[in-house]
Amino acid sequence: MKNIQSNILAIVYFLCGIGALLLFWEMSSRFTDGELPGPVPTWEVFSELLKDPFYDFGPNDKGVGLLLWGSLVRVTYGFLLGTLVAVPFGILLGSSKIAMNILNPVVQILKPVSPLAWFPIGLAIFQSAPSATVFIIFITSLWPTLINTAFGVSTVPQDHKNVAKAFGFSKFKYVVKILFPYSLPHIFTGLRLSIGVAWLVIVAGEMLSGGMGIGFFIWDSWNAGSMEKIIGGILIIGIVGLLLDKGFSVLQKSFSYEK
Amino acid sequence: MKNNIEAPTLEMHIKEDLGLTVNSIEIKNVTVSFKTPKGKFDAVKDISLNVRKGEIVSVIGHSGCGKSTLMNTISGMVKPSQGEVLANGKRVTGPGPDRGLVFQNYSLLPWLTVYQNIYEAVDSVLKDLNKSEKKTLVKDTLKMVNLYEHKDKLPGQLSGGMKQRVAIARAFAINPSILLLDEPFGALDALTKSSMHIELLKLWNLDNRDKTIVMVTHDIEEAIFLSDRIVVMNNGPAATVKAIVDVPLIRPRHKKEIVHDPEYMKIHDQLLAMLMDKLSIADIKSNI
Repeated sequence: MKNIQSNILAIVYFLCGIGALLLFWEMSSRFTDGELPGPVPTWEVFSELLKDPFYDFGPNDKGVGLLLWGSLVRVTYGFLLGTLVAVPFGILLGSSKIAMNILNPVVQILKPVSPLAWFPIGLAIFQSAPSATVFIIFITSLWPTLINTAFGVSTVPQDHKNVAKAFGFSKFKYVVKILFPYSLPHIFTGLRLSIGVAWLVIVAGEMLSGGMGIGFFIWDSWNAGSMEKIIGGILIIGIVGLLLDKGFSVLQKSFSYEK
Repeated sequence: MKNNIEAPTLEMHIKEDLGLTVNSIEIKNVTVSFKTPKGKFDAVKDISLNVRKGEIVSVIGHSGCGKSTLMNTISGMVKPSQGEVLANGKRVTGPGPDRGLVFQNYSLLPWLTVYQNIYEAVDSVLKDLNKSEKKTLVKDTLKMVNLYEHKDKLPGQLSGGMKQRVAIARAFAINPSILLLDEPFGALDALTKSSMHIELLKLWNLDNRDKTIVMVTHDIEEAIFLSDRIVVMNNGPAATVKAIVDVPLIRPRHKKEIVHDPEYMKIHDQLLAMLMDKLSIADIKSNI
């Protein structure tokens, strides 16, 4: 009973928030004399877009669904590659003081660099804009995963280590039964942060590279002078980002444990 | 002050005379020092102590007096800076399958079920058994401590008492000849504690009282109820053994009756006096 009540309450709050946003949006639109389109005209253009999202009329004229799909594929590739590199290195960093001392300065220098700065490097290496975009997502996904994995691995509690010591666990058993299960929630925290930043960066990356993805859709709409499309694109980016985050939050929960 | 009651049981006397008692643990002039920023710090200093096979010995003292450190030299988790410890005649250089450990805070792995927690220890220690023998052993152990129906639960779903039962079952499962318990019941409520005492003794009896048990505690009643001898430690740093008190109460002991036993009361007073001697008379009065 209480559960249903709190669920209803949550929905009410959600609707209040959305309502406030729409109200603010509509008022801004009136304030700018329609320079910024309001919710109603935006919805008209946006629903038109969603009617046929997968059309393909050549390289510069694709449906928004197709562009979105392209962005998701590039994020997935970059993110997976980043994960494959970051997790092992994170484990290395977390378990060896020497590795930490050697690699930490490098990580600290590279981490604050905007991933977009890597775009020319990617272009130089791969000679192709799509690959360069995957490359910047790869770089983006490295740091949060690396740092969180290293943190998880380096903070295995003494109690757990004592169990391994007292019962003479083999190195393999220690890694599989203690180190890994303990670090997994931390690794997933890193992955969740990584995918979040990757989704932020892909839009900017595709604006730079042009011709593909949801980022290009935004830029192309600007060039075509359609604010309605831009706002529609922003909504799509926001909703997809939310879904990605929720998905990883579910994963994260399924790998955590009660103390 | 009378530090030592010269009252070992008759049986022990006879065994000793015949040369039948075997020392399960021999602590020889053990000193443990730690390096701190302020310099070397002796946790325990020059302690010697023998524990006979099948004996239950409690180590009691104020917190921070080095009880756990002393215990850890037997388990092999801490290396003595000087002196040595023999377990079953062999010099202790690290943890071994002949010594089972129960930690202060249960130390179960939270992502493994009750069954898996015990299984991984068994799997690691008893390498000679095949898989089905290991499984049977874990199941039997769980039944012995009445945890079988909880075998698929995670530690987070168990009460403190049940967690400690799992920890004890884990230590018993590998069938060590020496069982080391580091303040095992400290976090439990009085009722749970009492039933855990009975369970521990039950397991000890089941094994024909062959296992040697050393327990660190700060609970006087618990120490008297369970032990054959109680080692009282001085306050650290550089803690030493202040006294060894014999507990010649006949087993099986009964919780309710034992407290009225004059012998029990005598030992209780003696221990209390030893642990409280830093306080003034006025303090003791106000405490009682």
